[in-house]
Amino acid sequence: MNKAQGSTAYHWFLLFILAALAPNKLWGIDASNTEPWNKRIPHSIDDLLGIQKQLHEQLSEVRETVVSVEAIEGAGSGVIVSPEGLILTAAHVIEERGREMTVVFPDGNKVKAISLGGSELSDAGMLKITEGGPWPHATMALANKSVVGDWCFALGHPSGFDNERGMVLRLGRLIRKKDETIQTDCRLLGGDSGGPLFSLSGEVIGIHSRISQNSDENFHTPIESFLSNWNYFLEEDILTYGSLQGGGFLGVSCEEASKGLEVLELIPGTPAESSGIRPGDFLLRLNDTPLDTREKLTILISRQPPGSMVIIDYLHKGREISVRLTLGERPAKE
Amino acid sequence: MNFLKWSCFLVFFSFKGLLATSPDFDVLDTSHRINGSLMNEATGKKRAEVLDLLWGLYRNDKLISHGIMVNPKGYLLSKASSSMGARYAMSYSGKYLPIRIRKRDEKTDLALWQITDSSKLWPFAEWHNDLNKTKIGNWAISGNKDLSGLTFGVISAKSRSIGREGGVMGVILEESNSSTKGIKVLEVLPHAAGDRGGLKVMDRIIRVDGRTVRTTEQIYEIVKKKDPGDLLTLSIQRRKKESLLRITLGHREVAFDMFNRNLLMSGPVSKRKDNFPMILQHDLPLFKEMMGGGIFDLNGYCIGINIARIDRVTSYALPTPVVLPVLNQWIKELP
Repeated sequence: MNKAQGSTAYHWFLLFILAALAPNKLWGIDASNTEPWNKRIPHSIDDLLGIQKQLHEQLSEVRETVVSVEAIEGAGSGVIVSPEGLILTAAHVIEERGREMTVVFPDGNKVKAISLGGSELSDAGMLKITEGGPWPHATMALANKSVVGDWCFALGHPSGFDNERGMVLRLGRLIRKKDETIQTDCRLLGGDSGGPLFSLSGEVIGIHSRISQNSDENFHTPIESFLSNWNYFLEEDILTYGSLQGGGFLGVSCEEASKGLEVLELIPGTPAESSGIRPGDFLLRLNDTPLDTREKLTILISRQPPGSMVIIDYLHKGREISVRLTLGERPAKE
Repeated sequence: MNFLKWSCFLVFFSFKGLLATSPDFDVLDTSHRINGSLMNEATGKKRAEVLDLLWGLYRNDKLISHGIMVNPKGYLLSKASSSMGARYAMSYSGKYLPIRIRKRDEKTDLALWQITDSSKLWPFAEWHNDLNKTKIGNWAISGNKDLSGLTFGVISAKSRSIGREGGVMGVILEESNSSTKGIKVLEVLPHAAGDRGGLKVMDRIIRVDGRTVRTTEQIYEIVKKKDPGDLLTLSIQRRKKESLLRITLGHREVAFDMFNRNLLMSGPVSKRKDNFPMILQHDLPLFKEMMGGGIFDLNGYCIGINIARIDRVTSYALPTPVVLPVLNQWIKELP
């Protein structure tokens, strides 16, 4: 007992030393060997020029992967992520599965494509080129790689494709990231929807979704939404708010956290309330499928009819618990 | 090994500690954003050097445009159609001095002003004249609205010429080439130029700018030659009475896309935004009162003059190779 306490005290001392020595982002001082775009804030003209150089390099790498997506009613943007011509875009650009669309390359060349799935919750959408290939494609960032403060650049075709103007670049920083949304100060306009948000290492970290009244706080779908629900988007369907009705219902509101989905609230009279799950717990898995996004939980639950049996693994005060429960019915919208 | 394990924990712990002191840690502080205050500090001495060249132009004590000092004798370059009627110019350092107009060019929409009672020599712009080096992705900086700091953005699309758009009335006319008297107005778009000028459905247009019109085509021919902002005089017949209407022509996209969401989300845009021989497109957040000011590269060289705010993602600047021939000619002609 004594020994343990002594050891803790020793480590508290260590904390002090480390804190004083840590010349990292947390303390506002950047190490001099940090790349300019990874510093908390650029400190000099040289840092700004470093960001510019990196932007030039990545821009020339990725610009061929950005396309305009034309539907019957209007146009959005998209980014190719596989040599077979799989394109990430916004759900509100494709609207439904199986729709014929036209994809326009930066040089004005047009090819046919068909819309796949997605989700209205995050505004993620997919489509696929149905002719030719292989296509130039961009790399997607790994889940949780992008963080608040990252420099990023947006590409797209605001107000539609314009051959003389070409695609339009915007530079900014990631200002917020939460659940199904990324916000940046990259300026967006209609027509940008579905276009890619790139990190300065040239990886897709988001897809343009909605513009904000405040022009420097626009919304993007995080790449995590695509990664988490890949097979559903690719092979199954587009999740709409309307299609949630009639599916199963759990009755838990939660928020994405590093440990899992943190439970905020349980709706009275729902299966969740009587399951033993409590606010502050973390949902980990549903029927053995890891719950890495909130959206994934919604998709898994709503695809099963009310009355289905599911098994949820969750963390309660650090202890993992497994519970079997029967899904209820989603309350009708008022 | 043990040490490593603990240091990981400790870094995590200190992170948590920071979280407690800043409740909104999830959101990037405005000072850190691309147009936040800390970006200004990164430019060091260049900040004051650039701001020293920029002036605000005022009419009735209201800021109407920006301008840039182009000559030590107090010559300020600005956007003509924005700066018309300016009486005073205010510098970044707060000097408020009377100005008068010396030159104006229709083609580029540039105007040259001069500080009238100036005995001192002013710091003036140096130019970067190589359009090939102004690449997409280059930083572009300018002053903010009240010249208290810099704004930041990038060159965002290809340099190109912008064609002439022509003005519109915002009405739909009967297709007629017959000899019945006048051309019937079938539809008047709400809030567009014709509507604001008092034109009504079923009016018959008899004369345009004094010329009698017999076909719809004749009206189009006259209107097409005019720009948004130009005046059009119509003689119309309404319930057998003839009267005169004066209509200020509008933009095609504004007239026909009144409810276009992109425009509604963009706020006030420039009156003249077409018909430029060459432009640089950038994403700096500019208000329409900031036209006429310069944009600069990071070395403080002027790469162009802001000439039109198009929408919330697009501003145009006239590049130096377009500005300099006009400016040099003017300077040669003046004492």
